[in-house]
Amino acid sequence: MYLPYRRTTQFLVFCLMFVVPILNIYEIYVITGTFYAINFGGLGVADPSVILQAIFAAGELSVPLMASVIFPLFLAILLGRFWCGWLCPYLFVSEGIDWLRSKVGLRLLKKTPQSCNGFKGAFKANISRFSFLLAGTALAGAIGIPVLNYINAPAIMSTEAMIIVKERTVSVEFVFVLTLLGIQLVIFPKIWCRAFCPTGSVISLFRTRFTMRVDSKSRNPSVPCCREESCVSVCPMALEPFRECGNLLCVNCGKCIDSCKHGRLEFSGFEHFKKGARN
Amino acid sequence: MASRQNQLFHDFAMNRLRPPGAVDEQRFMALCIRCNRCMEVCPYNSIKRAGLGSTIGTPYVFAETKACYLCMACCRLCPTGALDKDLKVPAKVSMGKARIEPSICYSHLFLEHDVIPDESLEKIGALCNTCYNVCPLQEKAITLRDNLYPVILEGCVGCGICVERCPTRPRRAINVFPTGMGRVDEAGFYFRKARTHFDVSQTKEPADSQKALGGESLLEQKFRIDSSGKPPEFKFPYEKPQIKGDWD
Repeated sequence: MYLPYRRTTQFLVFCLMFVVPILNIYEIYVITGTFYAINFGGLGVADPSVILQAIFAAGELSVPLMASVIFPLFLAILLGRFWCGWLCPYLFVSEGIDWLRSKVGLRLLKKTPQSCNGFKGAFKANISRFSFLLAGTALAGAIGIPVLNYINAPAIMSTEAMIIVKERTVSVEFVFVLTLLGIQLVIFPKIWCRAFCPTGSVISLFRTRFTMRVDSKSRNPSVPCCREESCVSVCPMALEPFRECGNLLCVNCGKCIDSCKHGRLEFSGFEHFKKGARN
Repeated sequence: MASRQNQLFHDFAMNRLRPPGAVDEQRFMALCIRCNRCMEVCPYNSIKRAGLGSTIGTPYVFAETKACYLCMACCRLCPTGALDKDLKVPAKVSMGKARIEPSICYSHLFLEHDVIPDESLEKIGALCNTCYNVCPLQEKAITLRDNLYPVILEGCVGCGICVERCPTRPRRAINVFPTGMGRVDEAGFYFRKARTHFDVSQTKEPADSQKALGGESLLEQKFRIDSSGKPPEFKFPYEKPQIKGDWD
């Protein structure tokens, strides 16, 4: 059962957004920053997509820029989109929105959850988010401003949390997050994470043979192996895990593994690492 | 990159400064990832977040409400180098330069008029010199000329404490102009355009009519005047008016 652990880490990270500014008010600077870039003790960690923007906008590669992405990329190579699935505060809220939609929205909209996903199919969603990242980075290089930072939803959320704690107000970007969540609630569920999020796009590019991923043990993965398709209905990325379990969109949340009654889905990837070490 | 030349996103304002150690505005806009870590560590809450506009989310010090007290805490925390990490000495900061407006500065007014033209007729401290007293870099950044009125020196780092404390309202008698403001290569599009027009008009050759009156050409014209021989005959390009004799 991965869900309780995942909810715990997600909730802790969500609380961290508010705890960091409170600590800073009391002049405890062990953790500083927002999810654009955060600093644990001496370890500087920055969002890789943000750093990519800065590199293209400034037109230079500097040591502090590169040093800050070492840890997140190491995490990405080891555990895939672990940040997205287990830590990102936006997905946490987004899953809440999905739950709300399944309780309230569907009855109002009279649609099934799979019928109204924007960008049907994982391939279209992947194309969409990678071209969004590419276009944003090119624009950043052209005008010299890291433009995708203006719409980086999880980072904006943590910034807003800081502003709420420090100044008891919210800034204009809060409207953006609210709009996004509203769109997810009413029109396209999961639209940001599936089709736009630049952070997730960069993280999912760093995949090796031994990166953790969900693997299917079913004999013929192209057809659903049970009638309920329980894995399909729970996937927060609207994938079809029985055949697309290793897709770049997968956030390694483990919901499909929990839901599979026959135990045909499991995390894999590490064994390749072991094999490589032996050979 | 091509972005070096882009001037559309420059936005300077008086008394609105970048945190200490900021690199020049263009690189700052490229490098600053809006993580707001500088805001978080600022122990005085001096650093504020920019609102809606092209600089949204980037840090600013609004000197009129809360100036920078040069604790240098923000510089070493910047993750991308938009603020210079190696800067530790407050005297080496260059956020801007202060400038005194003598027409509303109490000290200057007192020296010129012996009174303060204040409508409330209250006697406000005649020689105020607050800016001198609050300056963290006294005698380097600001000095009292003749022990009477404040004068800004080259060492001013633009922290803005004088602006925050200046008693004149609504306008402050001392203002900080951020570094980069007024630099021709970083100024706005129309300013640069006007500047090139001005430069062209300065270097242009003066017109012939003005040229004839000076130097060699004047001498040449004078040599041409000759009283010998016949006077040259003029042909008027219009019909000569007939002068009638009954004027007197």
